[in-house]
Amino acid sequence: MNRNFQPGIHPDADQLSVFVEGAATAREQERMLAHLAECVGCRKAAFLMQPHEETQRATATPAKGWMWRRLLLPVGLPAAALACGLIAVLIYIRPHGGTPGTPQQIASVRQPEIERPGTTVAPTTKSERAPSTNSEQVARYSFAQNATATNLSRQENPIASGLNLPVLKNEQATANVAPQTTVAASSGSAPTADAARAQSAISSARIPDLRLNGRNVANLQQLQPADTKGAASQNRLARKKELPGLEIERARTKDETLAGVSGRIRDRSGAIIAGVTVTLRDAAGKTRQTTAGADGSFRLTELPAGQYELTATASGFRTSKQLVELKPRQLAVLQPVLDMGAVSETVDVDAASGATSVETESASLGGQVVAGMPSMRPVIAVPSGLPVAKTVSHGKRFLSLDDAGNLFLSRNEGKKWKKIKPQWVGKAVRIELTPAFITEAPPKPKNETSGAASEGEVFLLTTDAGAVWTSKDGAHWRQQ
Amino acid sequence: MEIPPANVTQTESPGAENRTASVAEGIALRRVLEPKSRLLPEMLGEELWRVAGAEQVDLSKAEFAEALETIGASDNYGLDPGKRANERQREMFWRALHLEELAIARGCAQGSEAAWRRFLAQYREQLTRAAVEMTGSAALGEELASALYSELFGLTEREGRRWSPLLRYSGRGSLMGWLRAILAQRRVNQYRKIGRETELGEIEPAAAVSEQIEPQQLEDLRVALKMTLSEASAEERFLLSAYYLDQHTLHEMSRVLRVHEATISRKLKRATERLRKQLLRTLRARGLSRRAAEEALGTDPRDVDINVRRLLQKSEGDPISSQEGEG
Repeated sequence: MNRNFQPGIHPDADQLSVFVEGAATAREQERMLAHLAECVGCRKAAFLMQPHEETQRATATPAKGWMWRRLLLPVGLPAAALACGLIAVLIYIRPHGGTPGTPQQIASVRQPEIERPGTTVAPTTKSERAPSTNSEQVARYSFAQNATATNLSRQENPIASGLNLPVLKNEQATANVAPQTTVAASSGSAPTADAARAQSAISSARIPDLRLNGRNVANLQQLQPADTKGAASQNRLARKKELPGLEIERARTKDETLAGVSGRIRDRSGAIIAGVTVTLRDAAGKTRQTTAGADGSFRLTELPAGQYELTATASGFRTSKQLVELKPRQLAVLQPVLDMGAVSETVDVDAASGATSVETESASLGGQVVAGMPSMRPVIAVPSGLPVAKTVSHGKRFLSLDDAGNLFLSRNEGKKWKKIKPQWVGKAVRIELTPAFITEAPPKPKNETSGAASEGEVFLLTTDAGAVWTSKDGAHWRQQ
Repeated sequence: MEIPPANVTQTESPGAENRTASVAEGIALRRVLEPKSRLLPEMLGEELWRVAGAEQVDLSKAEFAEALETIGASDNYGLDPGKRANERQREMFWRALHLEELAIARGCAQGSEAAWRRFLAQYREQLTRAAVEMTGSAALGEELASALYSELFGLTEREGRRWSPLLRYSGRGSLMGWLRAILAQRRVNQYRKIGRETELGEIEPAAAVSEQIEPQQLEDLRVALKMTLSEASAEERFLLSAYYLDQHTLHEMSRVLRVHEATISRKLKRATERLRKQLLRTLRARGLSRRAAEEALGTDPRDVDINVRRLLQKSEGDPISSQEGEG
């Protein structure tokens, strides 16, 4: 830029476009940056003149062959949409309905053990089928397998074997079983269902009009406890014999057997203790060790399920020992409390027992918030005086949403609150802490030790209009 | 636009003639230089004239050669001021221009019908679309584009002659880029005129800062900030301004600077760290204890950013906000 920028002098359109298009020399670039740093108007213009990305893409597309594209567009787009839909359906069916190979594989190594009444194979015709629902699709997909395979795979818990669903609680599992069973019963096909299924089918067949148009799902779920018990008692023998098969199946999905433990260490007064050495020892004596961070938090993941002894050691404090039983796919959240002194203390905790000091969560959720544990959460009062709808926290930062939709931020664990001026339109209805997928993470100083959400986690706010806003620190929000 | 009229000095162009532009247009003054002697070799001139398709837009070889020489002299052939370009450097500079677009622009400025036909065919629609994009409204966008279009057409007169802003196009960037830049500048002007009150209202009151910091500390911080920012490089200041003052995203900034957004993030992080360290050092040099200096920056390191932003917006004499004049 040969022309000097002086107070009140601004680059003209030619200079701006040369800069933005990268055609400026190093000196011009330097001078332009210096001017833009100081001049709001020119800076705005420089950003504003950027073509929208869609426009840029459109202009970047070579003009060659546009006629063909125009002609193919009406056909190509629906075809692409259809393909996407098919892929989505396949993806949906795979985890829910099970891969076609899996049940057959299991079937090939086992023999049918138990003959059960009402589970005879009957040909299925389309005309007999109930109207299609998602659950029905799953069932139909399973029935379409080899009859023997279907029979065998369904003798076992369908979640673990036949349908290849994630291991869930019993209630959820039976809820999933119910619709499928009903389809079998209502359609009259009943292709060699297992004992549990047969029992469900029998009991549910007493209910008139069991077609799954989405109307009977609730009724069926209400019936689940009885059905489940029946299925469980009748299945006991079968389950025993099929245990090896089950183990093989579960061993294939290694991730499902892993668990984790995390938590935050405090003293009796509730103050966080940093730098505590946390050791986890399994039954075989194998240990995993980590050191709690400045915010007192620790996390150990990818642990095989089982019983562990968790030891928290810090100088000047009594050593705390806890027994922790980790279940597959669960993340135990602990809050060890250390006392002053030198005597060790032992506490037994069972992650699966639902003890108040332990919160189990899905391991796939990643970093969850301590505030998610109602029993452990301190009573939070925000300046508005209204009841707090939800509080999430990370480090020392607490973010609270009251019933009126006001958002409050505390940087010191709830001691002092500041109301966040809403940048969004409407009322905030939900806040949460989620893993970030970031490209837009604001840079964080290296020497920062506490305060804002760590790299990879952001506060997320949803308004009643459905707009989603994110913030790294709870104070500065950006619409997603 | 309330820019004080000012001439830009240009020492390395003997015999140049000033062409003054209207201040109200919001475009910097630019001297259109007419070289004394012909530096463009005739052979090269003819070749470039042919490559540019200048004949189709009713530009003679002499007119096109004059335009090339004017632009070359105006920009010193892309060299730093004071340096003299040799024949090779001049040729490289001319060949690097967007010759075809330059010919259209010059042809249009001269009122050539053929040039206008080509301009309309190539740019009219894009111009309107760009204006709609910038304003976010079809009506406003069309209005903005039409106003510019009529001005480009040369409806204004200067010194008794029809004058078109297209004469300002140098061909160093694309013509569409130039048009977008003009549109953006006008849009910023419009916005500033309409939204001045709203903009001021949106700025958070500085009282929020003084609630947390003592007045003396605030003054120390302001002085420290001024010193620190004056030592920052142009790029750092631009990044800080764009990110913290204008709230642009890393992606947007990466598009303007034509680098990857990870690079922007890294540079911004480095700048913030340096700023913080320098601020602490300056505050301590002004007699504050370490604790007091940190308190002045805010208990949380992230609050430094907030304070910087608020202080910059509030301070009267700091280098960033002093020239919020024109785009």
